Amino acid sequence: MMNKSWIYVILTCLFELIWVFGFNTAETWWHWGLVIVFILFDFYTLPKACEAIPTGTVYAIFAGVGTVGTAIMDVFLFEGDFSVGKVLFMALLIAGIIGLKLADNKEVDKNMKGVA
Amino acid sequence: MGWLFVFLAAVSEMVGVVGLKLYSQNKTIRNGSIYIGGLGAAFAFLYASFNYLQVSIAYSVWIGMGTAGAVLLNMVFFGESKNAARIVSLIAIVIGVTGLKSLS
Repeated sequence: MMNKSWIYVILTCLFELIWVFGFNTAETWWHWGLVIVFILFDFYTLPKACEAIPTGTVYAIFAGVGTVGTAIMDVFLFEGDFSVGKVLFMALLIAGIIGLKLADNKEVDKNMKGVA
Repeated sequence: MGWLFVFLAAVSEMVGVVGLKLYSQNKTIRNGSIYIGGLGAAFAFLYASFNYLQVSIAYSVWIGMGTAGAVLLNMVFFGESKNAARIVSLIAIVIGVTGLKSLS
């Protein structure tokens, strides 16, 4: 159950990156149509992820991945500049996301032991 | 005026995340409206603040306040885990998000 929910976390982040990219590049009506479709997918998968994983965790990861993703897109697709500061904040953010995943796993182990 | 919009945007985001929590537990129209309405209002207020403030500043303050607030609300009102590893990780994410947005 837990692992299946992490797939929803990955999907919701992926859809988020697609529509954010779409927002920056959409030109014709069907581009905007696709953006809306991905926003709808995103709004469907986000609560799905929250069914078995704490909402605080899911939302922080959602916001974090969106931020790192847009920063990277900015550098590679829209010719923004990379700086040491950006790389440091990105590293800190990613460390936080990994830490959060590990912290929640530990919590599940503890609960399992409590049951047994 | 710009900061008022940023503040309202952050509050709306917290409302949206509470809606997200409620909707994930119980898929009713009411909960869905709080979820979508809250996040929608957050974007609208944020967009309004861009008329008064620099985009990167408004965005970083909004996302920092909103994300931290959303996580805190879930800990306080919905009894989500308060273990040290989780809190340290969340602080790292909030600092990372806010810092990165302020530089972008």
